[in-house]
Amino acid sequence: MQRWKQDFTTLSIVMIPVAIAINIVVGQIIYALKIPLYLDSIGTVLVGVLAGPWVGALTGLLANLIWGLSGLNVTYAPFAAVAAVIGLLAGLFGEGGWFRVWWKVIVGGLITGLVAATISAPISAYVFGGVTGSGMDAVVAIFRGMGLGILPSSFAQGVSSDPLDKAITFLVVWLIVKALPRRFVARFPRAENVR
Amino acid sequence: MALSLYLPRARGLHRLHPLTKLWLALFLFICGLALPGVLGAYAAFVALVVPLALWGAVLRPLLVAAGRVVLPFAVSLVLVQGLFWPRGTPLFGWGPLSFKLEGLLFAVRSTGRILMVVSSFLLFALTTRPDALALTLAQRGVPKSLTYILVATLQIIPRFQARAATILAAQQSRGLEIHGNLRRRVRALLPLIAPLVLGSLVDIEERAIALESRGFSRQGPKTSLLVLPDTRGQALARRLLAVASLAVVVMRLWVG
Repeated sequence: MQRWKQDFTTLSIVMIPVAIAINIVVGQIIYALKIPLYLDSIGTVLVGVLAGPWVGALTGLLANLIWGLSGLNVTYAPFAAVAAVIGLLAGLFGEGGWFRVWWKVIVGGLITGLVAATISAPISAYVFGGVTGSGMDAVVAIFRGMGLGILPSSFAQGVSSDPLDKAITFLVVWLIVKALPRRFVARFPRAENVR
Repeated sequence: MALSLYLPRARGLHRLHPLTKLWLALFLFICGLALPGVLGAYAAFVALVVPLALWGAVLRPLLVAAGRVVLPFAVSLVLVQGLFWPRGTPLFGWGPLSFKLEGLLFAVRSTGRILMVVSSFLLFALTTRPDALALTLAQRGVPKSLTYILVATLQIIPRFQARAATILAAQQSRGLEIHGNLRRRVRALLPLIAPLVLGSLVDIEERAIALESRGFSRQGPKTSLLVLPDTRGQALARRLLAVASLAVVVMRLWVG
């Protein structure tokens, strides 16, 4: 409880809008480069690692809610809980020391992607009829054609993209943290996570 | 200027208190998800969203913005669920590639749901100033740090987009290839992301110090330049919207 409150420093709070903007703008760069990934949670994962799981969870939650309430990307809003869990897991993996070795970073990203796919499948199935409105829906079509239900097909689509996407996200965050000045990293509440 | 879809109007829906509109958006959201039948969500759209949008004089922008979001989903739904519905009743098409009745009905129902979900957020975004929402939340006891995040995010995004465009131009002038095969495009990723993220993070510390020096973590009430009119009728309307939202959910759970 004590630790929980200490994580919300002014620096952590100021970091959150920047992290959300990183999520959005990097997502747009990926889209412009036509790379078949999302990479729209780099900021969330970064906050989770540097400021702890609870600040990370708040970042993910607010990112998607602000996307929705500002009208910028309304379809992200129903997935706010998924984004919160991604930030939370990034923080927990950071706390467990998984952000010190490159292969643990990748494993952490894969696990996070698997969890994200699991939680987002029911949301996608119920709210969006199991499709994403993108080219990834070919995967949904394949599994539907094999006779699978809407929820399993949606889950299969998530599993085929999310773990890889989150593994790369985690790896990018690891590279960013390594490139940051140590004096700067040391100012964050969870600086010891990446040392 | 902050980034949002907000369109200033001096009347109608815009005059309502942000909290009223927030409850209204929640009610519409729940209606979209919980109303039964293939056409339930469409009925709610015609009966609730269209009149409200007309009252706020934002029907056209609402339809354009909603259409842009809903259309890809509708196409996907018709193609994926319409063509690949297992053991469905074939309507028309060629052999295995035929549209199934059940799949098409599901596609129509889901499109309606998405339309309502998207419209509920868009209606709020088109008629509510983001800073007014932040002020409302602050007045209702939401921590100031949360309202700071809300306002700051919307102000930072356009600056970030400008910075990203500058980085892209700079790297291209140094010979970075952003077209071509996938491998080449992936290799362009890090030279674009790294300067953006590293550059933005270095600003954070300065901003934190600037906020602290202006009493960001100070306790107690603060004076605001923006005055938000609220009425008793609206307070009642918010209660009713909350009850109605609950009623729709309960009805859905009971009737099935």
